[in-house]
Amino acid sequence: MNNEFGPRGRVASAADDADRAVLVLVAAGQLDALQELYDKYRVMAYSIALRITADASLAEDVVQDAFLGAWRNASRYVEGKGSVKTWLLSIVHHRAVDAVRRRRPTVELPAREDVPPAAMTLPDIWPEVAGNLDRAEIAAALTSLSDVQREALELAYFGGLTQQEIAIQTGTPLGTVKSRVRLGLLAMRRALIGDVGGGGNGGSGEGADGARSSDPGGGALA
Amino acid sequence: MNDEPMTHETAHGFAAAYVLGALEPAEEAAVREHLRTCPEPHDEFAELGGVVPYLAELPGLELVEPPASLRDRIMAAAAADLAERRATTPTAPAAPASPAAPMPAAAPPAGVPGSTVPFPSAPERAERAARTGRGAGTLGWVARIAAVVAIVVLGGWNLVLQGQLSDARAYDRAVAAVIDAAGEPGNQTVVLTPTKDGRGAGIAAVAADGSVVMALRDLPATTGTQVYEAWVIAAGSPAPVPVGGFTVGPTGTAAFTTQPVATPPGSTIALSLEPSAGSTTPRGAIVATGVSTAPKS
Repeated sequence: MNNEFGPRGRVASAADDADRAVLVLVAAGQLDALQELYDKYRVMAYSIALRITADASLAEDVVQDAFLGAWRNASRYVEGKGSVKTWLLSIVHHRAVDAVRRRRPTVELPAREDVPPAAMTLPDIWPEVAGNLDRAEIAAALTSLSDVQREALELAYFGGLTQQEIAIQTGTPLGTVKSRVRLGLLAMRRALIGDVGGGGNGGSGEGADGARSSDPGGGALA
Repeated sequence: MNDEPMTHETAHGFAAAYVLGALEPAEEAAVREHLRTCPEPHDEFAELGGVVPYLAELPGLELVEPPASLRDRIMAAAAADLAERRATTPTAPAAPASPAAPMPAAAPPAGVPGSTVPFPSAPERAERAARTGRGAGTLGWVARIAAVVAIVVLGGWNLVLQGQLSDARAYDRAVAAVIDAAGEPGNQTVVLTPTKDGRGAGIAAVAADGSVVMALRDLPATTGTQVYEAWVIAAGSPAPVPVGGFTVGPTGTAAFTTQPVATPPGSTIALSLEPSAGSTTPRGAIVATGVSTAPKS
């Protein structure tokens, strides 16, 4: 079952390939290559970190931490999924959210005993749903979100809030937040792929809530 | 704290929040554990996760130039890290990461075990890189490695998506060792593909001394006395030379460095599954082959 990346799956662009070649040099310990990567993505990285932390000096620490993480782990990623840009910015995002959560009063946080120390975890990276989209296309896809979906996704992505925290902050039942998050991502996926009729893998075209859970395995004959 | 393993259906329901990082820590850990252990496909994670990076483009992200001092800090920290790595890793990284047990080779030259990693140490590499700089010759092999990496990326997805993260990490480290070796100016690269009836694939780099550093996956596990034997058929020579063997566990991945033999560009590297160690000519089926290629310069 490989069709999730189907014909509209990730398309490696020339920019991706160039980034990946640079990353190979980073993996080989070349400082020049790290600097090249930094100069290409520093503005995006810093802007995301600043937006999430709302604190210039914390944002600098986050970006430093993220690029050092990339420096140390490049060899583990060179055969990874998704683009180098996505990988890097995901590390920035992940570190920034971690920094914000650590800063919050501990009473809001459940114990983190099951979670490895932040320095050890790298974010999961999934293959992008589409390659080579320009900003206008992405902006158009984002307009497919309803206001409440966008709010929930923004609070999670830029606010670093968990679903439970979003529910409390917005005075919305947790179940509603969960379906906003899920439907919001599905709406974006549909818009980004430009797939209205649905491909072979279903699941993204329904307007109902998040209760569909029986697709794999069991009901094949139903 | 709930120690019950998470069901596949429950994990599916958590996919959106998981890829967003919006789960509570205990929930996140449970989903992570599910992904690590559940053999079912998890398409919804990739489908929804692939969307998340685009959220950075939500309107209202003000683009801000970081202070120039941040670059200096990062580069200084990276340089310090590099110095530390050189000081603490006198040997190449392939050996400790290896999930394959090196076997005695068919005819080991005295004092050269099959798993010896004959590449220059990190300081030597760095020194050489500094000497050679990054001229036109360097670009040739960079492009070539990028092509090899692209092939591995395409092949590696399933492995990772099936949640076999620890296997994937061992393989990652093996790939890293190959890339390290391939980065040496003049070294050759090899893409190993399965033969018609064989299984197994991977990438390899041939060092200047003729030893081959390999990262292999999708190999059926060996049983009993079986070993995988690596062979070099040098360009222009008909006889396969055994260069070392190894066993493979249930992960199907292996990191292995062969004994050095003459391996000019255009040589065939082959892997056979032998009934036991010590073959001097292949007795079992050839499962994967590839041809060594020198970088364009």
